[in-house]
Amino acid sequence: MAATERKPGGLRLALAAACGVLGVAGAPAHATEVSTGALVYAEPGRVKAFELLADGTHEFASGNIGTFRLVFDALTGASANGAVPAKNAQTFTSPSGGSGYTTAAGETPLDTTFKDTRFAGSGGLTFPWGRLTKATVGAYGSFESDYTSLGINGALSRDLFQRNTTITVRGSHFADSVSPMGGAPVPFAEMPAPTPGEHDDKAALEDDGEGSSESKGVTDLGVGLTQVLTRRTLLALNYTGTNVTGYQTDPYKILSVVDGTTGDPVAGTGTPEMFRYESRPDKRSKHVAAAELIQNLGRDIMTLSYRWYEDDWGIKSRTTEVTYRLNFQPTRYVQPNLRWYHQGAADFYRRYLVQGQALPEFASADYRLGEMDAVSVGMKYGTKLKSGNDLTMRLEYYKQTGNHAPNDAIGNLRDLDLYPTVDAWIANVGLTFGKQ
Amino acid sequence: MMRAKGSRRLVSALLLLVAGMTVGGCASVGVKPWDRDILARPGMTPGDDVITSSLDEHIYFSKEASTGGLGSGGGGCGCN
Repeated sequence: MAATERKPGGLRLALAAACGVLGVAGAPAHATEVSTGALVYAEPGRVKAFELLADGTHEFASGNIGTFRLVFDALTGASANGAVPAKNAQTFTSPSGGSGYTTAAGETPLDTTFKDTRFAGSGGLTFPWGRLTKATVGAYGSFESDYTSLGINGALSRDLFQRNTTITVRGSHFADSVSPMGGAPVPFAEMPAPTPGEHDDKAALEDDGEGSSESKGVTDLGVGLTQVLTRRTLLALNYTGTNVTGYQTDPYKILSVVDGTTGDPVAGTGTPEMFRYESRPDKRSKHVAAAELIQNLGRDIMTLSYRWYEDDWGIKSRTTEVTYRLNFQPTRYVQPNLRWYHQGAADFYRRYLVQGQALPEFASADYRLGEMDAVSVGMKYGTKLKSGNDLTMRLEYYKQTGNHAPNDAIGNLRDLDLYPTVDAWIANVGLTFGKQ
Repeated sequence: MMRAKGSRRLVSALLLLVAGMTVGGCASVGVKPWDRDILARPGMTPGDDVITSSLDEHIYFSKEASTGGLGSGGGGCGCN
């Protein structure tokens, strides 16, 4: 970044770079501003998602600022269930337990019954506390058929040094409840054979004690700093520590149990293949630090950001993103963006379990916990309409790659793709009313 | 456990460094109030496009193990 360059003023910039923090949007220039957006997300042959979002801000005569956000999204399609591909077709039990699905020989097992909708809403109030300090309080709720999240948050920010510096301290707590279809499985329990008719009614499952709910608490504490460096340069730095306790296992993810020589699936109890439900620790501590530099280049604007992430599950990641806003007309721009992401695997990530070996304390084959690289490339177009409203349109491509053929793969697994590439196309439009 | 302690020490050191440099460095940089015309232009505020930022956050939360950054760190949905 520019702050590390050795040239006249470099020390000053370097000192300033250490001052960066959380971007706190100022009060809107207009009394009321509402942004709406729609998104289509599609992984060919896998998940498809549709999302609608509305975000509003209103400045009251008292100087208080109220905000709200409403989100609806719908997911459908197929999602990798964690099992490895095999040289023969494999049969799985759906999460409800009432039916099954089959994966062809050599194909990555995908849970084809994946389907969900979500409603989420949040609101907040920011009020001045003296001339230079602002306080914000808010609440959040998200509701899915098998997952509920309720949260509260608060923040305190203070402007310093002729408002060139803003320091923010904030915290939030979420209380989540997980009610998996078919009940939360016992860690490492064998996936049973389908039992048609018995597990289609979720209420009946809960009466049987099989549909138990689990809970999770998420607490964030963060500190941020925004710093005006020059007339054309702004820096934001942020640190967040997160503590998660409770149920963090994915109840729909499984691991294949394979033969230690051939790598083929072994037979289960009443099933042609044996799969075991995954198990994750019930505690997780995360640290994330991020920096963002916004540089005006005369007509255009370039933004660079970097994120550092580590947690005590052993996951480390680094994210770099650059956007370039090309203001080719006073009210029109195009903005290409490029994002690189690298993630190391969780300590307990493993692609499969081996028959005859002792079960580990924790294990998951969820590809999202594996080592991976991801790249996003996108282009956004923005314009101010004759009505004065702002319209944006964006198209983005996302690609995630991992180790297709681990060196320690056993037998026939060496010939199969153990970490298939994930491709996704993302398209979204946004319309903002009331912005000046 | 050792990793967690190491991370905490690193974070504490970074926070102290940032706090110290804030006092010493931030006071000497910046602009006068009448020089903020460029900083007030669209695109010059972190998180300027709330719609795109929010949608991106949800996608990456669902597809990757890392969460958080310049905004809130976690919670919210069962997609990860």
